[in-house]
Amino acid sequence: MKLPVVQFTKEQEQFRLEVRAFLQHHLKKGTFRKKCDSWLSGSDPAFSKLVAEQGWIGMTWPKHYGGAERSTIDRYILTEEFLAAGAPVAAHWFADRQTGPLLLRFGTEEQRQFFLPKIIQGDCFFAIGLSEPNSGSDLASVRTRAEKVDGGWLINGAKTWTSNGHDAHYMVTLVRTDSYDPQHKHQGLSQLIIDLHAPGVTITPIPYLTGERHFNDVFFDNVFVPDAMVVGTLGNGWAQGLAELAFERSGPERILSTFPLLNELIAELKKANDLVGLATASKLLAEMWSLRNLSIGVAQVLEEGGEVAIPAALVKSIGTKFEQKIPEIARLLVATYPSLQAQRAFDRYMAESILHAPGFTIRGGTSEVLYGIVAKGVVAQ
Amino acid sequence: MSEMLEIVTEVVEKICKDLVTKETVDLLEEGKWATPLWQQLEDNELLKVAVTEQHGGANGDIADLLALYQLIGYYAVPAPVLEHTLANFILEYVGLAPFSSITTILLSEQPTLTLTNGRLDGVVQHVPWARIAQQFVTFAKEGEVLKLITVDLAQAEIEHATNLATEPRDTVSFQQAKVAAQVEINEQQLEKLKKYTTAAKLSAISGALDKAFQLTIRYSKEREQFGRPIHRFQLVQQHLAILAGEAAIATTAIENMAGALVGEREQFEVAFTSIRLDEASKIVATSAHQVHAAIGVTYEHSLQHYTRRLWAWREEGFTAHYWQRELAGDLLQVEDVWAWMTTK
Repeated sequence: MKLPVVQFTKEQEQFRLEVRAFLQHHLKKGTFRKKCDSWLSGSDPAFSKLVAEQGWIGMTWPKHYGGAERSTIDRYILTEEFLAAGAPVAAHWFADRQTGPLLLRFGTEEQRQFFLPKIIQGDCFFAIGLSEPNSGSDLASVRTRAEKVDGGWLINGAKTWTSNGHDAHYMVTLVRTDSYDPQHKHQGLSQLIIDLHAPGVTITPIPYLTGERHFNDVFFDNVFVPDAMVVGTLGNGWAQGLAELAFERSGPERILSTFPLLNELIAELKKANDLVGLATASKLLAEMWSLRNLSIGVAQVLEEGGEVAIPAALVKSIGTKFEQKIPEIARLLVATYPSLQAQRAFDRYMAESILHAPGFTIRGGTSEVLYGIVAKGVVAQ
Repeated sequence: MSEMLEIVTEVVEKICKDLVTKETVDLLEEGKWATPLWQQLEDNELLKVAVTEQHGGANGDIADLLALYQLIGYYAVPAPVLEHTLANFILEYVGLAPFSSITTILLSEQPTLTLTNGRLDGVVQHVPWARIAQQFVTFAKEGEVLKLITVDLAQAEIEHATNLATEPRDTVSFQQAKVAAQVEINEQQLEKLKKYTTAAKLSAISGALDKAFQLTIRYSKEREQFGRPIHRFQLVQQHLAILAGEAAIATTAIENMAGALVGEREQFEVAFTSIRLDEASKIVATSAHQVHAAIGVTYEHSLQHYTRRLWAWREEGFTAHYWQRELAGDLLQVEDVWAWMTTK
């Protein structure tokens, strides 16, 4: 499993500085407050609109839909800078990371022309509809039904753990368009775009353990979805969904969710002239560096259209463990009283990291499921 | 990877496959080493891969050597191939001529040898392969001046000792020995030498890591318990996945480090690789042994050749402990860590 070594070009280095300057400007101006886990728990539609104005949503997509045809590596740089600055990019996250690429690969021309420009302008957010009350890690057991009716489909069922569903306009939803056969669970699944404001859709919050609104239950009661909203081929939903996973699992968001805390840890240690503490912190930086190499290597292979399911699963399983480890090491190096209301940034990031850490190794595929994928892959080689 | 490198690694891999069996590695326990292998490598001019054309070599670079050292680690080669080729590479780097006769090298943070009027005194511990080498490349202090010297080991008193993997790590004493060559080392050169020697060792470590991982996969497919191969058990799968992750992390780190070194744009890559591979060595040795269970901790099985090397090599030369302290010092001067790590 050899991944390429990526060296950024002069233009890419320049682009990084451009993004950084934008973020510094808005941080100073108070447009947003830096926080940990901002890519998933920092939903701010107004900030997403600012990002769109820079041309930074859907930046890799074709120009005729409004994209900039930039490379995957450019987008990687952009994402890294957002995460390092703890910027609230959750509102447009799924549309930018997953829905756009999905539509470009499997969508109809009509779907692309309708959705992509809106996403790019920061006016259209997507949620991902996978998990159900009885389908978590065993995702292929989804039961939400789509029944064929004249001109479209009638949807009945429920999705759960829908991140930021309350801010989203649409949801790419994995549903059963054929009857459930326990022997062939992966068949008969399709991806449908459901308008979350359509009659029959009910969205109710599942408060996160902090009380914040993040997860939702989404119920479908005879929701009509026109034929034109089927993505790709009927019955091919499982395979299409798998293609998204490599993008979902290998990005910098699996490494940098708690970076603001790591950054602050080093700042505190420097202030205290604590060389022993800095030596310990350097281990965290070594981990981050090596994970970045892996993750950027995967991004490069994705750009070239290569197969990366296993390294992507590795980035996520190792990266999220690293994200979880940062608060546990930091709290032993710098005395802290973690609190979401704390004045000192270190204490606040610590609180955010501790409270959000359990989710890192669950969302997007639990570590246990990922270990299974990796182990079967290496044994088969 | 250059075209030459592909050919070289292919040939070296073939020679190692043919000539380095478990029994060959076991030779070390009897105080012997792989002389036929050495002969093969020498006959095929493979010991001169990174020697300049001027001295009859193939003009390879540091990345070529590092790829070679991954194979040295992967096969636990019981011969001073790394030491000999690295010593010559470093001699040429500081402007001295390389040797054809067996040469070893040891560079330490705190040199123990002193040089006075071209005469060498002092004791150096843990010198690799001193008992069979003819030339020794090391640091010596002349007053406050740091020098890289070469000395003929015929003038030394050599006491046999070994590392945790039973590789020769001898104690070498000099009394008024005559140095063959000496050159003053400036700060910048010193930094390079530290990085080259560390990178060499790390490449060998990554090879040994990979081998421990491969042996574990193989064993998990062959070994059956409760009526099925043990890789079918989820708790064993967890070990395999962790091993795969550490192997991937290590390989990618080595590639990125080699790329930075050969491109002369290295900053912290060697330090980070050292620290991360230290962690990887611990994790891989633990999981590989756990999956192998009792057989893995016996002399009968070859796993110990690789795990013992991991435990030995991680303490040799400039260690993770050294690089952590270096980085701590660097970090004190760094204004913005993110910018430092991501912007040239």
